[in-house]
Amino acid sequence: MAAKKKHTVVVFTAPACSWCRRVKQYLKGHHVPFKEIDISRNTQAAKDIMRRTGQAGVPVLLIDNRPIVGFNKSVIDRLLDIKGHHDDH
Amino acid sequence: MIDIKFDGSGSPSSVTNKDFDVIILGAGPAGLTAGIYAGRSLLKTLIIEEKAVGGEAASTDAIENYPGFPDGISGFELTERMRQQAERCGARVLITSVKSVALGNTTKSVETDSGTFNARSVIIATGSSPRPLNVPGEETFKGRGVSYCATCDAPFFAGKDIAVVGAGNSGIQESIFLLNHVKSIAIVEFLPHMTAEKILQERIMKHENVSLHLNSKLLAINGTETVSSITIEQNETHKKQDLSVSGVFIYVGLDPNTALFSSSIALDEQGFIKTDDRLATNIHGVFAAGDVRRKILRQVATATGDGARAAFSAQHYLNR
Repeated sequence: MAAKKKHTVVVFTAPACSWCRRVKQYLKGHHVPFKEIDISRNTQAAKDIMRRTGQAGVPVLLIDNRPIVGFNKSVIDRLLDIKGHHDDH
Repeated sequence: MIDIKFDGSGSPSSVTNKDFDVIILGAGPAGLTAGIYAGRSLLKTLIIEEKAVGGEAASTDAIENYPGFPDGISGFELTERMRQQAERCGARVLITSVKSVALGNTTKSVETDSGTFNARSVIIATGSSPRPLNVPGEETFKGRGVSYCATCDAPFFAGKDIAVVGAGNSGIQESIFLLNHVKSIAIVEFLPHMTAEKILQERIMKHENVSLHLNSKLLAINGTETVSSITIEQNETHKKQDLSVSGVFIYVGLDPNTALFSSSIALDEQGFIKTDDRLATNIHGVFAAGDVRRKILRQVATATGDGARAAFSAQHYLNR
């Protein structure tokens, strides 16, 4: 199920971070376009995340400029209007 | 390294039919292996995962003791392959939150955010979660210097001094990964010796920027906005000292994820599920596999073995 309305989604990631991959996989599975920023290559982005969230960890999502720390599925679902489950087979 | 390409098919699946032969709770190595075996037995199989496929193993940077991968493999890649294999064998994977389970009757039911699913057999493979130390400062600085996931958080500590608590396999393996990012590591271990595999011990001790504090207890994690130091105490001399660190990575064991079953499934004194040789629990038709059950070694290799045994037992139960 695609998101009902268009959202701006940015995902901050690190290369070895499995939760980051799961978040990206989840968004792709729901056909949600997003921009990815690798904080290991962008130290300023890492500082920005810490400033905005107070957290030193990824994944962090910005959904319509609202930060979500971690793969917080229920919040992500709510903000992106993802409901229940969908056919993928 | 193997390049896994994502097509999005790992996201929550539609499961319009609510009735299955077996429901597997948890999609870590144990649950996914159970899914492979159950699927190949042509059992209608549903794997329900609350968070993300792969479990704790998926967060491990390098798994070097799982057979078949002489150069090691990342936990994410390994478990992603397991997921693909389970789905190819016919198991369905659903990512959704489980609200409650009713296991006592012949037909078991699992109530989730995506509806209620029924099966005649259930395999519990919900795994375990990193155990907190419950020391002052741990909760306060969680995410602000205290971490349980090196692969997630290491870049935030680039060029900094950090501590790793726990010198078991996880603590040492993740320390080796962290050395790619950090300036130095102080490893704090409560026991008088490391418990990690000898090969890992040798590898970590080759690094001059690693200090080992054995027989030492972490007393507190200190700081203001973020972590600035830890206080440790030597167990014999009771001498206390502060170590200046910006981060603390904690690997002191695992707690079983059994909150859903604590009222119905027999657990041991530490909360792990008791099983017999067939991995059967105290409830007919309910089996347990992987880290969540009482056993002596919690590794991916033992989890997959558990998954196979539990699925075999579930099939036998269903055919009886």
